[in-house]
Amino acid sequence: MIVFNQASTERVEYMLDTLGIRGFTFWENVQGRGHENGDPHRGTHTWPEMNNAVMTVIDDDKVDELLLSVRKLDKRNEEVGIRAFVWTIDQMV
Amino acid sequence: MAIYKTAINKPITTGLIFVAVIVLGLFSLTRLPIDQMPEMDPPYVTVMTTYAGANASDIETNITKIIENSLNSVDGLKNITSTSKDNMSVVTLEFEWGENIDEALNDIRSYVDLLYDNLPDGVSRPMILKLNSSAMPILQFGFTANESYPGLDRILEDNVVNVLNRVDGIGNITVSGAPQRYVYIDLDPKQLDAYGIPLELVGNAISANNLDLASGTVKMGKEQYQMRVKGEYVESSEIADIVVTTTATGKQIFVRDLATVRDTIKDLSLDEKINSRDGARLIITKQTGANTVAIAREVRKEMEKIKKTLPPDIEVTLIRDGSEEIVNAINGLTSSIFYALLFVVLVVLVFLGNWRSTLIIALTIPISLVTSFIYLLLADSSLNIISLASLTVAIGMVVDDAIVVLENITKHIERGESPREAAIYATNEVWTSVIATTLVLVAVFVPLTMIPGMMGIMFKELGWIITIVVCVSTTAAISLIPMLSSKMLREKTFYLTREAREEAERKEARKWFTFDKTIGRLFSAVEAAYANFLRFCLRHKLPTFLVALAFFFVSMIPVVTGKVGMDFMKEQDNGQISVSAELQRGTRIEETLKTARHMEEDIRQLLGDDIIALSTNAGSNDDAGFAALFNSTTNNKISMTIRCTKKYDRKRSIFEMQEELRKCFAEYPELVTYQVSQGGMGGGSNNSLSVEVYGYDFNQTTAFTQELRRRVEQNVKGARDTRISRDEDRAELKIELDKQKLALHGLNESTVALYVRNRVNGMAAGYLKEDGEEYNIVVRLREEYRDAISDIEQLSIPTATGRIVKLEELGHVEEYWCPPTIERKNRQRYLTLTVMPYKTSLRDMAMAVQDEIDQMGVPAGIHVSLAGSYEDQQESTRAMMLVGALIILLVYIVMASQFESFGKPAIIMAAIPFALTGAVLALLITGENIDMVGMLGLVLLIGIVVKNGIVLVDYINLLRERNIELNEAIALSGQSRLRPVMMTAFTTILGMIPMATSTAEGSEMWTTMGLVVIGGLTVSTFVTLIIVPVLYGGMERIREKAFGNRNKNKFVFMNINLNEE
Repeated sequence: MIVFNQASTERVEYMLDTLGIRGFTFWENVQGRGHENGDPHRGTHTWPEMNNAVMTVIDDDKVDELLLSVRKLDKRNEEVGIRAFVWTIDQMV
Repeated sequence: MAIYKTAINKPITTGLIFVAVIVLGLFSLTRLPIDQMPEMDPPYVTVMTTYAGANASDIETNITKIIENSLNSVDGLKNITSTSKDNMSVVTLEFEWGENIDEALNDIRSYVDLLYDNLPDGVSRPMILKLNSSAMPILQFGFTANESYPGLDRILEDNVVNVLNRVDGIGNITVSGAPQRYVYIDLDPKQLDAYGIPLELVGNAISANNLDLASGTVKMGKEQYQMRVKGEYVESSEIADIVVTTTATGKQIFVRDLATVRDTIKDLSLDEKINSRDGARLIITKQTGANTVAIAREVRKEMEKIKKTLPPDIEVTLIRDGSEEIVNAINGLTSSIFYALLFVVLVVLVFLGNWRSTLIIALTIPISLVTSFIYLLLADSSLNIISLASLTVAIGMVVDDAIVVLENITKHIERGESPREAAIYATNEVWTSVIATTLVLVAVFVPLTMIPGMMGIMFKELGWIITIVVCVSTTAAISLIPMLSSKMLREKTFYLTREAREEAERKEARKWFTFDKTIGRLFSAVEAAYANFLRFCLRHKLPTFLVALAFFFVSMIPVVTGKVGMDFMKEQDNGQISVSAELQRGTRIEETLKTARHMEEDIRQLLGDDIIALSTNAGSNDDAGFAALFNSTTNNKISMTIRCTKKYDRKRSIFEMQEELRKCFAEYPELVTYQVSQGGMGGGSNNSLSVEVYGYDFNQTTAFTQELRRRVEQNVKGARDTRISRDEDRAELKIELDKQKLALHGLNESTVALYVRNRVNGMAAGYLKEDGEEYNIVVRLREEYRDAISDIEQLSIPTATGRIVKLEELGHVEEYWCPPTIERKNRQRYLTLTVMPYKTSLRDMAMAVQDEIDQMGVPAGIHVSLAGSYEDQQESTRAMMLVGALIILLVYIVMASQFESFGKPAIIMAAIPFALTGAVLALLITGENIDMVGMLGLVLLIGIVVKNGIVLVDYINLLRERNIELNEAIALSGQSRLRPVMMTAFTTILGMIPMATSTAEGSEMWTTMGLVVIGGLTVSTFVTLIIVPVLYGGMERIREKAFGNRNKNKFVFMNINLNEE
């Protein structure tokens, strides 16, 4: 699950493509705010920015590579913001 | 999908749509005619009725009153005025501006049809005329000649009028003052009496021998011939040899025995002098809807060709060119627009420090402005002073939205986003507030289109143009601007390695001039200083507020004391002076001319090199001589048109020159009255005061008005050119016939009147034809036999029996003063006293005149009211106030809904009064008075001032919601919003500077508005930056105290103590 500022959408998509990740679920316009710093992204007049979220289920060996890319992207522009969370998938149909 | 997203995703479509708009706009531009003002036909309809033989008061009771009474119920009627004079009644109906005149015309026509039966027999059918602004002459040429002068009429007709008539769009060409060829048969009454021949016999003999009559057809053999009696005179000398009659002794009496035949030019009556030389004037009018500028250009070109075909002694002078004013005014405004454009772009460049951003923003200006041309074409309007001035006003406003959007996009890009995504999401963040601020402007300008009256016609165009332009600029700001930004702005360079980044930073440090280091640093310093000052003010709210309040009240002092007065419209220095002067009634034309020559000399001496052309005419086109006394004459009137150099080519203003002339003419003992006024299109003035005096009794009202005039001239400062509309009683000769004696001789009044007319004025005895032209042959007594009352008494009148009696046997001739023409307004007799202000404001003068009236005391039976431009001013001021109130209400509604708050809009609006302060200060410094256009500036200010307030308050709200402490939030948002606020203010102020400082012709009209906006905006911007935050702070504090606990109560569930249960 990667949650990121809308403004990074194209870069995230590019990232997934280059890593050869085909499948994902994409949510547009999700809200969120961080624990420590950064502006909340709430889509209001006060905090106008919004996030998108993408969930992709991938093999364990690809996880590190993806997290590395996410970190690079975060480094590229920290103010814009991107976070990744990893779960294990127990079952799927 | 939102508009900005579509625009970014389809850059080609977006780009081409705007290209199409530009192309359409430019196409419209080529089709637009150029004119001075928007089409505004004056809403007047005139009903003219003639009733031969009736005098003024007969006309008044029998015709004028009846027409007035029945037309009074026409829909939309504002005023009904009438003039009743000998033989003629003229009723003028004035409608509200913008009323449908054609509909009113139909109404009037049906009313007139109904009332026609009630008019006395012998009254002509009333003529209904619509006053048309295209009847005004657009060009006047003067032709002066030496040897060719006697033939000037013919030369002008053949070589000039006929040629010019071919020019497209020309309405009418009139030649005034050209000498006309006349054949005079001057009879010696002694000879006539000796032979016992009446004058009519001579006249009839002359016309009976001047025939060309068909006499049937004659068939001869195989042919058929038309037969004619052909006896027309070939030369005027033939007339002398005509046999008038044969005496009983068989002696033939020729015309030469009784008279001298003069083939000459018409006796002097209307005298035209151009630059003090004999000449004639050519007056050219255009057809309705024709393009003045194009026609004038064409005519001038033709005239150059014509000049070569004229005899060498004929000189052509351009006396007046109506298109010149238009062209100059338009050129002046066009250059104002370009300067404004330049200034605005410079401001944007300085504030943004980035040429790419500047280019993007600059692009919105032409796009928005060009759309107004499409509107103008669709609305059948023209490129005129109003539409161009609106564009100048708009330039500063159209960039605002674009700046807001672009600024946010830049902020996003700075954070490292790609331009494309930055454009989408940054626009998404601001587009609603951009639309909201535009709504505020729309709320200001749409009500302007609803002002009634003449002002309304002017402001309607302005209101629509700015509304349209601003809406288009907003559309461009949320579609074209993001699209261009996504394409043109550069992504922030990202360095993969630390070395590369450090290398770049070092490079940057070596550059001595960068935006950030110079202007950027300056801005930051100013912003920080401002924030600190704001913190200081926030700690001392009450004193700050009181100082501002005091400032406001102090600035209002000049208004209360009349230092800054109020005019209706500025008089314009268009380089034309018109002088009209009047000598004692009944003065002969020759005497009038002497004075005219004298005046010309003085004018030349006083004005010297500033004169380009001076044309004078005096007298009227009536017949000359003693006969003029029987007619309403203007032989005692002189009128002059002086065309001066352009105002930037001379040291004195036209008003100073006028004042000098007035001083000079004041020393002429023979002049009864004189006016020196502004010449121009209508010739009328748009800044005058009329005092209307109503009352039935002529003597009483005239005496009252004359006394008032004397007092006004003596006591009222700056009152010039006073004029009473009622002509003084004029001297007339009246022949009182004894009816019994008439009957004795088998005569009646009408035959005697005809005989007298034939002898004095002349009897028309056909025409002398030459080269297809006809020249009048006039038979009358030699002048020395008809220029004294005793001569008139000695006129021979033939009786029914063929005998001859002297006029004195039938009655007597006496001189008397005939009643003047009778003017009425709203069915009451009235007269007006017109006064022009000089170096004083119209309103102050009106007050002073009112004082005089109060001191004099208005006697019973008289009713006085102030009218003229002053009345218009009062009406327009009222309308402006009303519209102003409407605007404030609408703006409040828009803001209240934007903030969802009643209090915050009020805080923002607190800055509006300070706009007034600034305007007053600006006027005080420049010594100008406020006029209607200046008032318009005040109305504009409401919109701009409020816009700045919104920007600020919106941001404070935002920071407050981000939980920043009140005072700090205010200070921070002040710091951050200083630049956009200053930018809006600077673009508007600098956009107005070319207008305020313009010296082009016709610029007077707009300088006040420029000054008002510049002054008002400067002061109100500073006030907005200080008072609005302070008030906000105060109000929030109170509100928090009152409602602060409410939130806690809403979430009281958090305090439930679960352990208790």
